[in-house]
Amino acid sequence: MDDYDVRSAASILASVKEQEARFERLTRALEEERRNVSLQLERANQPSDRLSLCNTTGSQPLAWQQIVMQEQSPSNQTSIAMMQEPQELVEETVTIEEDPGTPTSHVSVVTSEDGTTRRTETKDVPTNMKVTKVVKTITRRTYVPVTVSETLLESKPTTPTPDPDPVTKMVKTVTTRTVRQIPIGPDGLPVPEGSSPLGSYTDSMDRRFMKNGDRYITPQASSTLNRSYNSYNDSYIDSPDAQFRPYPIHDGFTDMSDHYGSLSRGVNYRPRYAYVPANNYRPENSYTLPIRKDDYAHMAQPQLPIGSNVELNRSQPERFQPEPYGLEDDRRSLGPDEEEAYGLEPDYSTANRRTPGGGVDRGRPSRDRSRRRGGYDDPIEAELIEERHPYLHSVYTAPLAQPERGSMASLDRMGRRSPSVDSIRKDPRWRDPDLPEVIAMLGHPIDPVKSNAAAYLQHLCYENDKIKKDVRHLKGIPILVGLLDHPKSEVHRKACGALRNISYGKDNDNKVAIKNCDGIPALIRLLRKTNDMEVRELITGTLWNLSSFEPLKMVIINHGLQTLTNEVIIPHSGWEHEPNEDSKPRDAEWTTVFKNTSGCLRNVSSDGAEARRRLRECDGLVDALLHALQSAVGKKEMDNKSVENCVCIMRNLSYHVHKEVPGAERFQEPSANQNSGTGGTQKKKKDDAGCFGGKKAKEEWFNQGRKNGEIDKNYDTLDLPKRTEPTKGFELLYQPEVVRLYLSLLTESQNYNTLEAAAGALQNLSAGQWIWSTYIRATVRKEKGLPVLVELLRSDSDKVVRAVAIALRNLSIDRRNKDLIGSYAMRDLVSNLPSGQQRPAKNLEEDTVVAILNTIHEIVTDSSENARSLIQAQAVEKLVAINKTSQSSRETKAASHVLQTVWSYKELRNTLHKEGWNKSHFQPLAAAVPKGSKGGKPGYDDSTLPLMERNQDAYSTIDHRNKECKYKNEDGRGDLTEREPLKSDTSRKNYIRNNRPSVNLVEACDTKPQPVDSWV
Amino acid sequence: MAHIPGQPVTAVVQRIEIHKLRHGENLILGFSIGGGIDQDPGQNPYTEDKTDKGIYVTRVTEGGPAEVAGLLVGDKIMQVNGWDMTMVTHDQARKRLTKKNEDIVRLLVTRKSLQDVVRQSMLQ
Repeated sequence: MDDYDVRSAASILASVKEQEARFERLTRALEEERRNVSLQLERANQPSDRLSLCNTTGSQPLAWQQIVMQEQSPSNQTSIAMMQEPQELVEETVTIEEDPGTPTSHVSVVTSEDGTTRRTETKDVPTNMKVTKVVKTITRRTYVPVTVSETLLESKPTTPTPDPDPVTKMVKTVTTRTVRQIPIGPDGLPVPEGSSPLGSYTDSMDRRFMKNGDRYITPQASSTLNRSYNSYNDSYIDSPDAQFRPYPIHDGFTDMSDHYGSLSRGVNYRPRYAYVPANNYRPENSYTLPIRKDDYAHMAQPQLPIGSNVELNRSQPERFQPEPYGLEDDRRSLGPDEEEAYGLEPDYSTANRRTPGGGVDRGRPSRDRSRRRGGYDDPIEAELIEERHPYLHSVYTAPLAQPERGSMASLDRMGRRSPSVDSIRKDPRWRDPDLPEVIAMLGHPIDPVKSNAAAYLQHLCYENDKIKKDVRHLKGIPILVGLLDHPKSEVHRKACGALRNISYGKDNDNKVAIKNCDGIPALIRLLRKTNDMEVRELITGTLWNLSSFEPLKMVIINHGLQTLTNEVIIPHSGWEHEPNEDSKPRDAEWTTVFKNTSGCLRNVSSDGAEARRRLRECDGLVDALLHALQSAVGKKEMDNKSVENCVCIMRNLSYHVHKEVPGAERFQEPSANQNSGTGGTQKKKKDDAGCFGGKKAKEEWFNQGRKNGEIDKNYDTLDLPKRTEPTKGFELLYQPEVVRLYLSLLTESQNYNTLEAAAGALQNLSAGQWIWSTYIRATVRKEKGLPVLVELLRSDSDKVVRAVAIALRNLSIDRRNKDLIGSYAMRDLVSNLPSGQQRPAKNLEEDTVVAILNTIHEIVTDSSENARSLIQAQAVEKLVAINKTSQSSRETKAASHVLQTVWSYKELRNTLHKEGWNKSHFQPLAAAVPKGSKGGKPGYDDSTLPLMERNQDAYSTIDHRNKECKYKNEDGRGDLTEREPLKSDTSRKNYIRNNRPSVNLVEACDTKPQPVDSWV
Repeated sequence: MAHIPGQPVTAVVQRIEIHKLRHGENLILGFSIGGGIDQDPGQNPYTEDKTDKGIYVTRVTEGGPAEVAGLLVGDKIMQVNGWDMTMVTHDQARKRLTKKNEDIVRLLVTRKSLQDVVRQSMLQ
């Protein structure tokens, strides 16, 4: 308002005239442009509704005269998708898209002496067709508990993997001003969709515009205007009310849907509909915000004395109105007029002054002013652009915008988090809709309202667990799920976005709520239907979030496994069912959709035997994953999240292959005629299997490591089975060929999770007593994998060390491997052990220490040569220290086993005595573990190692079984406690597991009468 | 969803019409059922009431006729072509569904989410 005083009426009038003339010219140009645009729209393969709208308008060109711009959604969608590119560590990304082909409007605002503010929008379509959108993608680092470890032999506590599962907020800003003709419903009630959805809003608008009085010939005409468009009126004066029936639908509608995304934008995260006066929403009274009613009543009076106050009043409602209707979302709702009105408001002040309401330019010629005006929204964008994407700035055509930077930016940032701040700032009398209101809006008959409400919900839920919970309690989730089937892409997209945020987080009740209203099949259905990348990302992201909760895993498998595989995994992996011989094999594409989907499958693959079976037997899945990994190795792209996910799935599917795959029994090794490695049940025989004596070890090692000796070619005594036809499906999991793949990953990848998973896969494959694990163990040696693994014992990552240690343990079932590992890995193993209470630099977790101790135990068992290496590696001192002083009973026990085994070699006692050790050091301390107990357990688990501790670290079998039992018995709610991905749980969990008789549990499970389940 | 024998049952049901897929000799519905009065209801994961001996949908083939028709895992089948399914043995249910001479089955199913929605809307 301060500006107002300064203004000279004459100059304002002059400039207004000029603007008007200019506008008229432009309008003509625009009309032409409009045709182009609608042509483009059609070409752009728009949603059908939009298309038809375009057509409608085509037949009524008149209506379009003032219609200046239109946001084009198709491009918008795709580009957004690109923007969402997972920036795992990036906290906030702002991307700007340019949408050529859409005109930009320049708006200027003029305040005349009577206090009326006018805004003129000039569109320089031909020259400057440009819609700039600012899209902010905020990718938060999120924390999705991914329980991947299940298949690991080790009982790795399911530690939370901080997955950057993107909770993304998109903020879209459109610079365009849309002037549209809105059809009035006869009574202000919403006109049925397709005819004139905006009808309901019109009358309120009209009233408002009335205030402008003279500017508006008829209220109806003004209905075209949104928001601050009161100022536009001047240009519209000539277009009489009458016409507006015809035009409306088209552009109002189109725009609406397009702009719906805008809700989430910047400061104005508040739903615009909030500000719609109650009567507009007659059908749904719940939308009414009583406070506003008063204001409206007041404002509705035509011909109010004009003055700053009036201005204020008027602009408020208008300002917010546009948004619900899909009008341009002005992100700050910073209309020029508002600027005047709110000039003093702190938040807007900067911007406002920069864009002096129409007239008062700080000495700029009016023409310039108009340009400036046009850019009035731009400032913000420009600022955003500049700040975050400087490189894009040049593209951006609104240099005028620049001055506006600064406060807006900060505003923007502030506002984003706390919408309420905005409202307070703007005007205490206006409030954001509360949550019940927003949720009620989800059911509003008008689509843009729905999508806007959903977008707002997405924003509100972002990192706000309380709101997510409230949404759930208010039954908002079923409504959102219902919107997934909505034909309009804008609606289902926003709904999906909201669901993704809601599904994210530790509150599993939200996930269950989505499941309970059949959200999972709905998501899958949408995935099958949509080709929109962004929607696909949202769907798969949501599924990824959901998949982190145990009881939902099987549901996802049941509803979506094949779809996810066919729609995402296979196409993105580059694998082809029947490869075309002419074309060279395609590489995998590490898209976000692929990453999300593989993450989801990674989670569900840990859900026990049934889940593994389903995944293994899922047509094309294993083939595609393997292809993707091979492509990753080939292209040396082994550190990304998708690769990690794929390897984890492979590892999980490799778990228990020797027991679970169909026909596995045919391959079981007859334990008697093993060549090198025999199972633990055959312990005694191992000594006799000494055709590969320890003495050859060194030589052997050199053969493996240095030269690719001839013996390497023929797998020693092993003959790999000849295959007549190419392997496919789950058989690929355990073919010796995969060893090379995993070893490549182990050699090249820098990603600890990938390393861990690849080591885990080898560990799983080398376990068990079937013919394939024998091949795998030998192949690892032949492929020079042992040095690779030993090298990784020095890794800084605890879990990598652990996985490698256990893998080595399983590999040492092969006698020759055992000798090699004993000779060359012992020092590295021992160096990972803590010395007494003093932990080594690495400070490995208990699990890891136990794993290493168990591996050492396995290596020294039945090999006095290896026991000697152990002594030479100065291990006895450490072992005794652990045995005596460790705080962990498991470590103590494991160390004790090793010591007993070492002591059992009489030929070594002499050496030990010389070093000052005596029998007491090698005896179990407390409750003696009888030596016999070691051999007491049949080595049925994945390894053949008869260690008591087997269950603790090496084999999560029990865990699985147990869970499966629960699944069958209960309603799918598995062991939450066990899987709770909290590190603090670790010890307790292990303890429990440790005390759990695995075999009994398994049997108990199996003996339960299975429910009959008939396919029909 | 449970009911007391002898008492009328009130349930919100959805009609689902499945067009069987002919696959050689076989007609495929593309879902599997569990439950029945001869089965242990305690093992039914789809209901909280562990005495409910109704017939439940346990699996639905992706893309199969049942899924296309909108059948969901966990749905309780109340009727098949007008025949009551709340007090039948597992095998009786299976036979009702798999009649060779019927290409279409019409189910009345109820599901928790359906009940919830209705309850909710009644509360409002």
